[in-house]
Amino acid sequence: MDPWAFFVGDVLSYIAVIVFVIGVLARVGKWLSVPVPLKVPLTPGPTTYPGVVIRLAKEVFLFRSLFKGEKKLWVGAWTFHIFLLTTLIIHVINLLYHDLWSVIGYGWYEFAGYTGIILFGALVFLLARRITAQHMRYLSKLPDYFILILLMAIVFMGNYIRSFSGVDVKQVSAWLYSLIALHPIPPPSDPYFLTHVLLAELLIMYIPFSKIMHFIGIFVSPTRNQRNDGRMRRHRNPWNFPVKIMSWDEYWAKFGDQLRGIEGENEGEAREEQKSLTGDKSGVGG
Amino acid sequence: MRLDFSNPGKKWKLYASLLSDQKELGLPFPREWTHENFKLPPNWREIFLKNMESVLKKYRSVRLFMDLCVHCGACADKCPFFLATRDPHNMPVARQDLFRSVYKKFFDASGKLLGTTAGAVKDLDEKVVDDWYTYFYQCSECRRCGVFCPYGIDTAEITIAAREVLLSIGLSTKSTTQSINKCEFIGNHLGIPPAAMANSLEFMEEELREEGWDVEIPLNKKGAEILFVTPSADYFGDPHWYTMKGYVKLFHVLDLDYTLSTYASEGGNFGLFLSYEHMKKINAKIYKEAKRLGVKWILGGECGHMYRVVHNFMGSIHEEPPDFLEEPVSPITGTKFKNAVSTKMVHICEFTADLIKHGKLKLDPSKNDQYVVTYHDSCNPARAMGLIEEPRYILRHVCNHYVELDPSVNRERTICCTAGGGLLTDECLELRYQAIKPKIDAIKRSGANFLALICAIDKAAFPTYMRHYKLPIRVGGVHELVGNALVPP
Repeated sequence: MDPWAFFVGDVLSYIAVIVFVIGVLARVGKWLSVPVPLKVPLTPGPTTYPGVVIRLAKEVFLFRSLFKGEKKLWVGAWTFHIFLLTTLIIHVINLLYHDLWSVIGYGWYEFAGYTGIILFGALVFLLARRITAQHMRYLSKLPDYFILILLMAIVFMGNYIRSFSGVDVKQVSAWLYSLIALHPIPPPSDPYFLTHVLLAELLIMYIPFSKIMHFIGIFVSPTRNQRNDGRMRRHRNPWNFPVKIMSWDEYWAKFGDQLRGIEGENEGEAREEQKSLTGDKSGVGG
Repeated sequence: MRLDFSNPGKKWKLYASLLSDQKELGLPFPREWTHENFKLPPNWREIFLKNMESVLKKYRSVRLFMDLCVHCGACADKCPFFLATRDPHNMPVARQDLFRSVYKKFFDASGKLLGTTAGAVKDLDEKVVDDWYTYFYQCSECRRCGVFCPYGIDTAEITIAAREVLLSIGLSTKSTTQSINKCEFIGNHLGIPPAAMANSLEFMEEELREEGWDVEIPLNKKGAEILFVTPSADYFGDPHWYTMKGYVKLFHVLDLDYTLSTYASEGGNFGLFLSYEHMKKINAKIYKEAKRLGVKWILGGECGHMYRVVHNFMGSIHEEPPDFLEEPVSPITGTKFKNAVSTKMVHICEFTADLIKHGKLKLDPSKNDQYVVTYHDSCNPARAMGLIEEPRYILRHVCNHYVELDPSVNRERTICCTAGGGLLTDECLELRYQAIKPKIDAIKRSGANFLALICAIDKAAFPTYMRHYKLPIRVGGVHELVGNALVPP
């Protein structure tokens, strides 16, 4: 047995999944452990939950706000995400439910082979944008480049395997099923394939510590997931604290002379007299 | 997108709070200091980090937005202060990064491991504080960036949190704390004492009588049905005064049972620009006075940031719900304001639009025929409330010539007056002249000669801009035009 194939294919896959699951749960748990004290929805804020679902769906599937913000980036980002999604789906069909292709049609199978190239193209665009635009160079930090380059490497290797080196899909499928069944067998020991898998595992482990967490964060964002019902329903702030403000009596003590002159303002005066009376009493009694 | 790495934003640092205001408001570390010499307390680092941790545990938005930003740059050119200065720190994402970089350094593994390459700040020194003070007081909390962000990351949330941290080490700005002090201890931001307010309203009654309107403006009237709360500039300012006359005429033709109050003579809330505590203090007076006067519900005048508090926060910052009030119902049309059943506070535009919809107002829009009117969406009504159609509906009924502004700076995409968030002060006036330019250009293109708006800060800021850009455009409230069009009873 090839120890490298065993390490990458079996040991690291389990580690990657464990790190991913625990990491993501921990990060989301951290977010959710912080309260939402105030209502902060941004227009267009729906007043009902179905409205919120529709709004979020538009954001997730159409990148609606980004479309408003920057059309060129929208084309690049949307293409990338959609083809990332199709690539993942194609992986699942290819490797786990290969027989489905006979239902879907082998014409689609051929077509699917090219989507990885579009995905790579979108990544090239995103990286080029970061490098060429002055403000993007200023904003981009190491993690921003790292994710793009890692993704490009994964996609490049995938395309390479698909187009040139090839890999026995039946063997990969058997390996994946063995992982799911918790009786791991080693994967094909093809070096291109193992590199592809290794890089993908690195990405999966990196997700909880990276900005890729936006795939869950987008649903947590209070400006987008709140109903615009600030005056309709009471909202609780768990860390609210009482404040002391100038009372009417203090106000009267300060401005009584002026308030006496204002129509409708005799109550304060009456109360002041009453207070001085009760004050006298307590003075005597005390 | 061109950047100017000489950081021109540094020219526009707001002035330090006066010692008297710091003391009277009980702010931390009261002392004489300036925007150039902070004179921070010796253990400021410790306090800074402690309070930063505290805001990260108080606001999910802040905590989440630290991790959520992907640095896509879609927000970069959406901030009017960036467009004006080209200062890289004024890109919304970079403004957040001022906060995020300290978060990375002290609260996040990636920054602890990789340091500046992961975007962490090198060290927490006075330069960081200087950057924070400069740029978090160069954000008008208008939230335009958040509209375009794929994740709705709202820089205002970060700005508000950062200002809480700055306040904890004794940093706040003069214009904001001055107004807060007057509001908390006199009753309104302008510091108008009760007698002066009463005189002013009497003067308005006289003025209106000369115009043929026999009105009386009730003040501190117990048992009135409605408490009317509006920004204090409406009793004194120009052009606010004409909006106030519009309200008074409207209430007169309706024979509305309402009252103004000297104690709750401020609708606006500069506390919002400083801290949660002072925002709450200023807002609390409204309910307190509503209870004392025994009114049924509250009507609010034209204001922007006032509704950020009233619409978004008022329903959660008070311990008790305002059960002493009733669910607001228009006494004229019988309409229940279902959108305000919890806080019991209605926006004047909602009230007036409802009246028009039910045909309860006799209007002569030709009275505004000298004007080609356009409407400026104030940031808070447009982006926090979603109050976009009501004022337009009113305007279309009270004037014959109404035009819209360019969609790129209109509705929820509006460029704000750039004077909100505590920036309505002269030391940054030159900055604001530049920041407002895209809006001014759109107004010019529209061909309007009347800029209608529903915000007191707008009303204070725009006339100055119009003078600066030498535009013969009148600035006024929506209810000024309503007042013009009203047919006397």
